[in-house]
Amino acid sequence: MSQSAAASAHVEAEITVSETVTFPNGIPGFESCRKWVVLAAEGHTPLRRLHALDGAQASFLALDPRQVLEGYRCELSDADRARIGADKDTPLLWLALISVEPNGAVSVNLRAPIVINPKTMRGQQVLPHDCLYPLRHILVEAE
Amino acid sequence: MLVFTRRRDEAIMIGEGIEVRVLRVGRDGVRLGIVAPPEVRVHRREIYEQIREANQSALAASGELDAVAARLKKAQ
Repeated sequence: MSQSAAASAHVEAEITVSETVTFPNGIPGFESCRKWVVLAAEGHTPLRRLHALDGAQASFLALDPRQVLEGYRCELSDADRARIGADKDTPLLWLALISVEPNGAVSVNLRAPIVINPKTMRGQQVLPHDCLYPLRHILVEAE
Repeated sequence: MLVFTRRRDEAIMIGEGIEVRVLRVGRDGVRLGIVAPPEVRVHRREIYEQIREANQSALAASGELDAVAARLKKAQ
């Protein structure tokens, strides 16, 4: 992954195409999708593709939220960390899902990021109770 | 649906490890305390629904990689 935009000390977590990430609970709306891969969107860094290998057909475009907002910070609870086998110092891969709004605007979900522990290859979508970031942070206004 | 009448400080158990306790009963709401093992996620339902809807609407963007990438580049 390129270290260009807003590279912080934690952006190093690299996940290669061939590895499967397990989401023990799926994600909301896609609870049956337990196996996912994170793919580089070829030629379109820093975009990523989060693609389900089982369950409902699901595929998302995503961005590291720290590349969207400098200083982005989402506090994980102890239970969140335990679920992916991480401790406070484990470097994690963060992804925020991209949507195209009905009016054509491009938004990104900073409220409920996907977080993956590359050491255990376990992931989850975090639903923080007191997160102030928006569910639909507009990246590109409607044309 | 199972229906219970519980008073303040009374609880129900779900399975072995989940307890739902009534902490306070007010005019407009009931304050509940929930004890669950870490692998069980507990959320306000409306939050879960919001995220679910956001995920479902994010699905369509996956077919528009080139367009999204071009617009992001242009906006930078």
